[in-house]
Amino acid sequence: MNLLIAALPAFLASIVEFVEALTIVLAVGVTRQWRSTLIGVAAAVAVLVVLIGVFGSALVLLVPIQTLRLVVGGFLVIYGLQWLVKAILRAAGAKSKHDEAAIYQREIAAMREEPAVPASGMDWISFTVAFKGVLLEGMEVAFIVVTFGASAGQLGPAALGATIAGVLVLFVGVAVHRPLARVPENGLKFMVGLMLTTFGTFWAGEGLGVEWVASDATLLGLFAIFTLASLIAVWAVRRRLHVAPAFGAKRTTKEA
Amino acid sequence: MRYLGAFGAFWYDFLIGDRPELFVGSIVVLGVVWTAINMGFNPTAGGGLLTVLILLLAGLSIWSASRRRA
Repeated sequence: MNLLIAALPAFLASIVEFVEALTIVLAVGVTRQWRSTLIGVAAAVAVLVVLIGVFGSALVLLVPIQTLRLVVGGFLVIYGLQWLVKAILRAAGAKSKHDEAAIYQREIAAMREEPAVPASGMDWISFTVAFKGVLLEGMEVAFIVVTFGASAGQLGPAALGATIAGVLVLFVGVAVHRPLARVPENGLKFMVGLMLTTFGTFWAGEGLGVEWVASDATLLGLFAIFTLASLIAVWAVRRRLHVAPAFGAKRTTKEA
Repeated sequence: MRYLGAFGAFWYDFLIGDRPELFVGSIVVLGVVWTAINMGFNPTAGGGLLTVLILLLAGLSIWSASRRRA
């Protein structure tokens, strides 16, 4: 159970982040130079592995579990709510959805405005853009791996979940050779937001001294409550957006 | 200095971004529950209080964002 708790959120969150990183890597590789791009990707992955190893081990070894769960839980609540609120607004049509194909076109246009690729040797523009893209997207994965891994005492499975997601996205990306625009990103973000908020609430509560009614099984109850509340929120926002123009029209008439 | 600025900007964007109310609100919620439990509030009821406050916080953020959109 603990193994799944650590691996599943890391896997799902990693798919979302790696799909976004793949868009940048493909745009740089296609327009400039694959060799320097891939070296940039490898360098970013190496930095992420070191960060996860160092911070994950330090947290597990040095911080008491009660404090760790309060701090990690607090961070997860903040981060989870960010994902969840955005996913709810997107599902309700109040926020535009992430469009990988459009981002890919923008990245390609930006790359074409850069100076020409050197005839030989390293192309530092390819390296830097790929390194930065993978590192920034990967930092969010590292955050989730370290927090879930440390709190559940399962750093290895969390890292494995993220690695499997990375390999999967890379494999599919290489196979189709274009951005993965058909991955249901918002659905995944919705699910990850729910998971992060659920675990964040649970662990922060334990850190604060809360006694959960059903012990670990409370997680299922919290997940159900947050899911139901989120679906109601999607319905309410959709309804509000649908009704709002009528109010606007009324106000305009009055003002006139 | 430039790298420190970039590091700070990353964390700002990561934890606060365009929804600062969620960052501040979460800290306030945790503070309220911590204070309540330390003042003798039932620790089991504390779980319910924490859950309700988080739901309220999310609801307020969604309400404010959808109001701007509407």
